[in-house]
Amino acid sequence: MESIELIREFLKDRMAIDPEKVVPEAVLAELGVDSLSMLELIFEFEDRFKIDVPADSEPPKIVGEMVTLMDSLIAASQQS
Amino acid sequence: MTQRRVAITGLGLVSPYGGGLDDFFARLCRGESAIRQLVTGDVPRPLSMPFVSCLDFDADGTLGRPLAIMMDRFAQLAMAATFSAWDDAGLARTTDGENRDSWGCAWGTSLGGTLAFERGYREMWLNGRSRLPPSSVVIGMHNAANAHISIQLGLGGISMSHAVACASASIAIGEAFRRVRSGEATVMLTGGSDTPQAYGVAAAWEALRVLAPGDADSAPRACRPFSTNRQGLVLGEGSAALVLEDWEHARARGARIHAELVGYGTSCDHNHLVRPSAEGQVRALNNTLADAGLGTAEIDYVNAHGTATAEGDPIEISALKTVFGEHAGEVAVSATKSMHGHLLGAAGAIEAIATVMALREQTAPPTAHLDDIDPACAGVDHVTTASARPLRAALSNSFAFGGSNAVLAFRAVER
Repeated sequence: MESIELIREFLKDRMAIDPEKVVPEAVLAELGVDSLSMLELIFEFEDRFKIDVPADSEPPKIVGEMVTLMDSLIAASQQS
Repeated sequence: MTQRRVAITGLGLVSPYGGGLDDFFARLCRGESAIRQLVTGDVPRPLSMPFVSCLDFDADGTLGRPLAIMMDRFAQLAMAATFSAWDDAGLARTTDGENRDSWGCAWGTSLGGTLAFERGYREMWLNGRSRLPPSSVVIGMHNAANAHISIQLGLGGISMSHAVACASASIAIGEAFRRVRSGEATVMLTGGSDTPQAYGVAAAWEALRVLAPGDADSAPRACRPFSTNRQGLVLGEGSAALVLEDWEHARARGARIHAELVGYGTSCDHNHLVRPSAEGQVRALNNTLADAGLGTAEIDYVNAHGTATAEGDPIEISALKTVFGEHAGEVAVSATKSMHGHLLGAAGAIEAIATVMALREQTAPPTAHLDDIDPACAGVDHVTTASARPLRAALSNSFAFGGSNAVLAFRAVER
């Protein structure tokens, strides 16, 4: 599964956010993603891909940054 | 500040029968049991016990998935009962600019989000997961139900939970009552919810040897309070909610008033964790009557704590006989737990609803399966089939492990 799809699925399932609004330039806070749902989303990602998101990672502000973060962590885990 | 009268303007529950409020009370009056055999697939030893489950409850459908997914089942049941009570009171779910800063929520639950934590243990210890979702903290917390309720209804006053075992909901209702009566709150949403089917909880109750045995055929008749052949209590999950409202506020908006909440009294036996004491119960009953300004001759019905344990039932009847004295033989008494089971932290709420409905409908619901009254439980007017009779005022008893006792007093509304 691609990162953007996981984000869309999570936001639709948990928060009834229309997947069409979940585009790279969308601001997560404006979609309704608060600090708790961000933690849940990160957890879901870690759980699904068996990856650790470092605790000191800069929290993404837009969907595109979240995708970049996820993709880079997936790539790093596949190299190791 | 002068004391306010407290109107009960909303009643709501997640009925174990699957229907609404009127259906719930009609079935109680028919002596219809909601108790069924619960059989689980738990490892190492599956549960098999008479139990009351809300099988028809659809959390996603009732609450919407985004709200339901952020709640443990005890909070889902709480929210559903609350919405039902709120709608019944004719109050809007959105504030629409109405100032609800003094409106609050007092919720009873003995177990809170136990199921959420149990799920976490299973994931880690059985399924080898090393981490848990961060939302587990706010899903499992004891005050999750009242927090969600206050958020959903825009209640800006106090939001609190009460964990007092089997007296949790009666104490929540009583504490809410005091806030409305004092004028501190115009409206309080109150009630209780619990889910004792948690494996670690149900198995512990089983070990205590107070649960009634049964199988698929006998389960509906498993709980027989005051009966010579009673064998113990039956646990159940569920939720019930009440809207308590300043009498004048209710009248001004033309709300239907189901009954008046007029008194609340408490006590602690202060001598044993599980063995009840008639003396402690007598103090709670007398405190309630004094608080309500009611004499024993004015009480026409008592919804007993009546769990159907060997020890508890005669002690409760003994307490009632002490308090009611020469009137004891005239006071109608029933234990509706014989049908809806023992909902622990929600027991006081579902029984408050049964009591309010009895006053509203002027009909005392029965104790089901009471064919042979234990002589040790004799001395009051046991209701064995529902009977229409004038009911002016009524009490609802809740006596908890730990020795905490709470009694609520209600008065019928003139019609």
